[in-house]
Amino acid sequence: MFLSSAEAIGRLVPEGTGLLAVGGMHMHNNPMELVRELVRRRRGARRLLTSPSASLAADLLIGAGLVDEVATAYIGFEHLGLAPAYRRAAESGTVTVLELCEAAIVHGLYAGAGGLPFTALPAGLELSDVSSANPEHFHTITDPFTGVRVLVAAPLRPDVALIHALAADELGNVFFAGAHFTDRLMAMAAKTVIVQVERMANAGEIAAQPAESVLPGFLVTAVVVAPRGCLPTASHRAYGYDEPALRSYLKLARTEDGFAEYLQINGMVATGVTA
Amino acid sequence: MSVAVEYSIGELMAAVMARQLRPSEVAIMGAVSALPQAACRLAQLTTAPGLWFIAGGSGAVNPHLEPLVASSCDERLLNAEAVMTLPDVILVEGRGDLINVFFAGGLQIDARGNCNLGPIGHWTHPTLRGPGGVGLPFVSRAGRVVIYSMSHDRRTFVERVDFVSGPGFPADPRELRGGGPSLIVTPLCTMDFDPGRHLARLATLHSGVTLDQVMEATGFAPILPVKLETTPAPTPEELSILRRLDPAGLLRVGA
Repeated sequence: MFLSSAEAIGRLVPEGTGLLAVGGMHMHNNPMELVRELVRRRRGARRLLTSPSASLAADLLIGAGLVDEVATAYIGFEHLGLAPAYRRAAESGTVTVLELCEAAIVHGLYAGAGGLPFTALPAGLELSDVSSANPEHFHTITDPFTGVRVLVAAPLRPDVALIHALAADELGNVFFAGAHFTDRLMAMAAKTVIVQVERMANAGEIAAQPAESVLPGFLVTAVVVAPRGCLPTASHRAYGYDEPALRSYLKLARTEDGFAEYLQINGMVATGVTA
Repeated sequence: MSVAVEYSIGELMAAVMARQLRPSEVAIMGAVSALPQAACRLAQLTTAPGLWFIAGGSGAVNPHLEPLVASSCDERLLNAEAVMTLPDVILVEGRGDLINVFFAGGLQIDARGNCNLGPIGHWTHPTLRGPGGVGLPFVSRAGRVVIYSMSHDRRTFVERVDFVSGPGFPADPRELRGGGPSLIVTPLCTMDFDPGRHLARLATLHSGVTLDQVMEATGFAPILPVKLETTPAPTPEELSILRRLDPAGLLRVGA
């Protein structure tokens, strides 16, 4: 159950992974240690699925050229600026963007988790260009109950989900603190789930607050203990985001050379190590 | 006469947005939303007691904003009256009868109130890849939409957005499931929407801003009102509340 990040990524994110989901929201709870391990090993996936609002984790994977396609509703850094590697890759066509909205992500993950063949979306969402720009993912069908045309979206069933939580016990029961965003949903929908945690759960911690143990071990493939492993993004109830470090990334990643320098400085050049 | 109090553009915009809100309404906002969050808290403490607001991806309901924070998912927002999970927030956004006010924005905003946070240029080969619209498609189901932008220039205010993230008034307004855009608030002015034509109409100019300045900075020709008023300045009470919420001065940066 408990693996090092090298073991977890090496064994559980094989070459040729199809759909990789990465959790967190904005510059919070990005499972950065797992993402850095992907970059070090040059492991990626054909398609990246982000949470409704992704940030550094997605930008790094895209900048490192580890995903061919990205299915997303937002990749950016809020008040700190746009996502430099995503911009460069999307504008030059080196990554294919599959437009989603938060409803398609959340309801799609519910569909994936629940074995639903697809999910129907509320009327009005078809007025945005998101669905017409992603005809692979969205269709319009006739609602058999009302006869009205309705927008439907594909289920989301990640091959691998990488998420972050505060702690986990030896059985893989995951203890969340603060907001858990769409991370539980991603885990419930995914075939393989790697959870990065700040620490092992303390004895009695889960027994004392079982309502915070909201992802049971049978849904978790591996746990990686990585203290302060979300930095420079935040880990709710552990530490805030490191704004100077994020700003320094945004500055460097404006150019390809700068992005490479960022990987070098942060120990993310390929190691060639195999698990 | 009271002595004129200096205020920032951010503080003025927050006060303008606060006055849009009514008691017991439910408001929601997304990324980069310190401004509408401050507006909601200000409204709760002044003209809209009992207002509810959901602070973006944090799921926080009525965060105390002690202090106001820059990121919409900051854990300090969880110091709130209630916290919903993010999937629950996204679920109930779909109901269509809960959200009275949706605060929206865009890299591009057009005269029909369409907002684009996605690709600029053709979406398959964008000249500028914006971050994406997150939940903006849901504005089509909200009671009304208040659009805010910290930029007022011809790149932002365009004749027609290149990509619709958040729908404004469609050609056939009956397709809209909600009330549509009601107000645009910028560093120069406010615009409402002509009820018959569903197009942006200049409403007020901020103190010191000229009509020429707004026309020069706007890529579409807003409908001109019969009478152009000056945006009422924040009152000393409003400013004192905003400054208590915002010791770091997020609303005073660049303004």
